[in-house]
Amino acid sequence: VSLQQGQKIKNYTLFVVFVQIGGLPACLFCVCRAQTIMKARLKGAQTGRNLLKKKSDALSMRFRQILRKIIETKTKMGEVMREAAFSLAEAKFAAGDFSTTVIQNVNKAQVKVRAKKDNVAGVTLPVFEHYQEGGDSYELTGLARGGEQLSRLKRNYARAVELLVELASLQTSFVTLDEAIKITNRRVNAIEHVIIPRIDRTLTYIITELDEREREEFYRLKKIQEKKKQLRERTDKEIAERLAKLGPIAEPANMLTEETDEDLLFE
Amino acid sequence: MKLHLQATDYGKLLTSAEDDLTVSLVDLKLRQNLMTEFSCLRSNALPPLSTFLDYITYSYMIDNVVMLISGALRHREVAELLPRCHPLGAFDQMAAVGIARTPTELYSAILVDTPLAQFFQDAVSESSLDDMEAEILRNKLYKAYLESFHSFCQNMGGATKDVMCPILEFEADRRAFIITVNSFGTDLSGADRSSLYPSCGKLHPEGLRLLAKAEEHEQVKAVADSYPDYKIIFEDPEPGSDFKTLEDRFFEQEVKLNALAFLQQFHFGVFYSYVKLKEQESRNIVWIAECVTQRQKSKIHNYIPIFQ
Repeated sequence: VSLQQGQKIKNYTLFVVFVQIGGLPACLFCVCRAQTIMKARLKGAQTGRNLLKKKSDALSMRFRQILRKIIETKTKMGEVMREAAFSLAEAKFAAGDFSTTVIQNVNKAQVKVRAKKDNVAGVTLPVFEHYQEGGDSYELTGLARGGEQLSRLKRNYARAVELLVELASLQTSFVTLDEAIKITNRRVNAIEHVIIPRIDRTLTYIITELDEREREEFYRLKKIQEKKKQLRERTDKEIAERLAKLGPIAEPANMLTEETDEDLLFE
Repeated sequence: MKLHLQATDYGKLLTSAEDDLTVSLVDLKLRQNLMTEFSCLRSNALPPLSTFLDYITYSYMIDNVVMLISGALRHREVAELLPRCHPLGAFDQMAAVGIARTPTELYSAILVDTPLAQFFQDAVSESSLDDMEAEILRNKLYKAYLESFHSFCQNMGGATKDVMCPILEFEADRRAFIITVNSFGTDLSGADRSSLYPSCGKLHPEGLRLLAKAEEHEQVKAVADSYPDYKIIFEDPEPGSDFKTLEDRFFEQEVKLNALAFLQQFHFGVFYSYVKLKEQESRNIVWIAECVTQRQKSKIHNYIPIFQ
């Protein structure tokens, strides 16, 4: 049994090879079974590769969508923050310095963020949504001065916070998706360039082994036939020689054709 | 901007500052400037001018006290709050107010130590100190302050009375209008509101009663229409001119009245107008600084011009 150089053989094929060296006829079944097993594995690997490719495509599509939305949101964010900062300046102009009042009255968060899970092609993405809790504890601030500017300021910054939350959830999904896509692509490539060729090579090896064995069997049979023929020829020749040496062969008396039997004493 | 300011009195202030001039730094310096000038005036004053100047400081004191009270009730460090108080409103026992932990301590500390005791007595009782909103407390104190100031000016008589009383009346009415307009949509009811209106203005008593009942902007406008001064303020702007908010128009009117004070001589009103106009000036400067930092050049002209 020749082992070609550089051929990677999996463990159980090695087992098959050993059994072959032993020369037991029962190993023939092992090899055939190994072949069917290998074929099934090849099919499985190919299906797996197709499925993973589909998953990778779906994830990439979602990825591109998210990227586009991130760009949009970021540009909007720039605008909104600018407007909010300006309305802060306006409010300070009208109402004086209300920063201390605001800082003093802080007790609980009014806008809170909840994390939810979204599923895309088997990958869970976190999504943040904001919700308001409790009333507006700064309703009466600026009652005597600058109330209008203050309420505009509150609205602008609330919008900025909303955008920020959206941006945060977009960015986390971006990062998670990126990881997932890398992993999936790595798996697809691994299957395509490593697993399937390996199985292919094993399969071809098994087939060549089987062919070789067939050829061996055939050759053995032929050899045996030849040998038998030779033997028969030889024996025939020997008999002919002996016959010739003995002269005309006294045929052994045929009891049936004998007319007189010498052994009979009395007729 | 630094270049332009150097031509004025403020030049000396800013040259000592470091290279990057932030808006808050400008604000701080302007305030310090005002403080030094005011204390210079105050130290040279004799009664009754000293009382008059004290009255001017009371409005800043009210702001400081309200901040300290809400800080103390929420158990914050006094040391944090003290630097944030307006310097014009500083008084000796400010720290003591901050240290008080329970409302009772607070009430007794304030009554004993601060010059604001008289305003507290009328408006606020001990139990209400705890749950009253900071804003409502501030407005009640301010109402008491305005009324007391107004009667003081009337007692002074003469040119002071002629100049100061219109200004104070205008201030009272302005507060009434703005409180009404800003309390649409909040929990403040009409009855609560009327306890916040100062009664020394032209609107008292008829206008104030109508305002307490008003529920929307149109009604407020209707009330203003019966007083010719305030009708102009509430008028809709002509199409094509810059839109000015209500606040802006009130500011303009205040500035006009304050400028009139300088036309007469030998009265105390000049000091009041001086302080108020200086304040408006610093606000304008800060506004321009903010516009420049935020690159909103178009809005720069929205400041209130003085002495046009």
